[in-house]
Amino acid sequence: MDDRAQAAPGRPPGETQGRTQGRTQAPLRLGRTEFAPGRLLVMAIVNRTPDSFYRPGLTWDEGAALERVHTVVAEGADIIDIGGVPAKPGTEVHVDEEIQRTVPFVAAVRAAHPDVIISVDTWRNEVGRAVCEAGADLLNDSWSGWDPKLAEVAAEYGAGLVCSHTGGQAPRTRPFRVSYTDLMADILDRTLELAARALQAGVDPSRILIDPAHDFGKNTWHSLEVSRRLGEMTATGWPVLISVSNKDFVGETLGAGIEDRLPGTLAVTSVAAWLGARVFRAHNIVQTRQALDMVAAIRGDLQPARTVRGLA
Amino acid sequence: MISRAVLCPSPPLLARELTGRDPAVPGLRATCTAAVAWLLEPKPQRVIVVGPAPATDDWDPAGRLDLSAFAPALDHGGKPGLPLSLGLGAMLLDQAGYTGNRVLQAVGEGEPAGQCAQLGAALAAAGEPAAMLVLGDGSARRSVAAPGHLDERAVPFDDEVVRAVRDGDLPALAALDPGLARELMVTGRPAWQVLCGALGPRRPVTEVLYTGAPFGVAYLVARIDPGGRVASSAQRRFSPR
Repeated sequence: MDDRAQAAPGRPPGETQGRTQGRTQAPLRLGRTEFAPGRLLVMAIVNRTPDSFYRPGLTWDEGAALERVHTVVAEGADIIDIGGVPAKPGTEVHVDEEIQRTVPFVAAVRAAHPDVIISVDTWRNEVGRAVCEAGADLLNDSWSGWDPKLAEVAAEYGAGLVCSHTGGQAPRTRPFRVSYTDLMADILDRTLELAARALQAGVDPSRILIDPAHDFGKNTWHSLEVSRRLGEMTATGWPVLISVSNKDFVGETLGAGIEDRLPGTLAVTSVAAWLGARVFRAHNIVQTRQALDMVAAIRGDLQPARTVRGLA
Repeated sequence: MISRAVLCPSPPLLARELTGRDPAVPGLRATCTAAVAWLLEPKPQRVIVVGPAPATDDWDPAGRLDLSAFAPALDHGGKPGLPLSLGLGAMLLDQAGYTGNRVLQAVGEGEPAGQCAQLGAALAAAGEPAAMLVLGDGSARRSVAAPGHLDERAVPFDDEVVRAVRDGDLPALAALDPGLARELMVTGRPAWQVLCGALGPRRPVTEVLYTGAPFGVAYLVARIDPGGRVASSAQRRFSPR
């Protein structure tokens, strides 16, 4: 185990080191629901953008987006992650426009699915405030505390917060020759620092997650490294979220185009689950749910659906 | 003397813990439960459990089914592990709340019919009147999807077993060919022949509660009343699984 992780600030209060690798300890609360350790959650991506990298514009139309929510909930998604701004560089989306894209939709999802966990992928406190007013449960800050006031909003509304690592990159920028003398130390330092700040701001400790943010401020080697060493993050006791679905590091690793990255995505998903990650942001819900259920069954956290082979 | 007897199947999946989130065979389990309740109704002073095993032997009455043998993640249970058939019999008795004397008698899979009959007679003669719970199955070669694939002789063999049980035709059960039974992966043959020996020459009144082969293995649940009528008010269950 990494000494730095042991000594790092921001460990969940009262939590001890993991019993075994691949296990997390504290319950995770999102919305009104408490999720036990061992429960693996699927976070379905529903972007209100015309230009996100995977199937751009798929849910740009509000009707199509709401239909998509109904579908992913039926497919076993636990969390809906709504985004109004793509991660990649492109046409600027101002605060007002981001609010316009996300807030009415959060309200519509909340009305249609009172119990589903609603997350909003944003770095801006103004957007965070507006979506929390509309019923969001979790602020997914993919840009690593770029706007420090976002944590205060989460605290004010009793919402959850994702604390991620980008290596200091500004929102919507791509990595350019990024390097780290110690990647995992940098990731742990930053995510635990943000978690500590969130605690200080008053965010409920059971609603704080950490995310290494694959591909954000990272080349493919970096993303593979953090995938291999994810256990160092889960060992902190904070619930770990990973966002790897169809990303470039999967494509570069396998030489696979955007439509051919599902097997690689599921492999990373499975390894991360084995190493103790608990929330999985995904485009392909049925397949992700199955991969996670398989891992949970191997770990003994989930009963198989039906077993008669060799037992008749 | 045998007061009542019941035939039950002995697949591992009879243990609810082994079929995952889906009960898989709820109807079959319920039928076994009902049959064992009927078996215990007269409050017998002892219950003899008879089931096939690699060798003829009597087992520790404190023994239980070791589920971890089939699903290593499950708890061993901390008690002496029994052969499958006896373990399932012990499980059924436990589930029925039976805490009285029990004899756990394994009968060797290759035991000749005559030896089986002698064993049955000896069990019936020893001690106070007893109820007998007999475990075992018909052919595991009833279909191409069956554990032993398809053998055309399987269904006729099983049909004859069911007919003999339904008619109380013990001589027909006693005459089942051990060689053919082995070829057809019939596990119940020696245990049924022990029952024949235990009941002697009387023609019992019987009721078949369940026949089916949802996974290509023939399961049979039946009540056997050596001395009289089987109560007609009793529950019948003919669900397919």
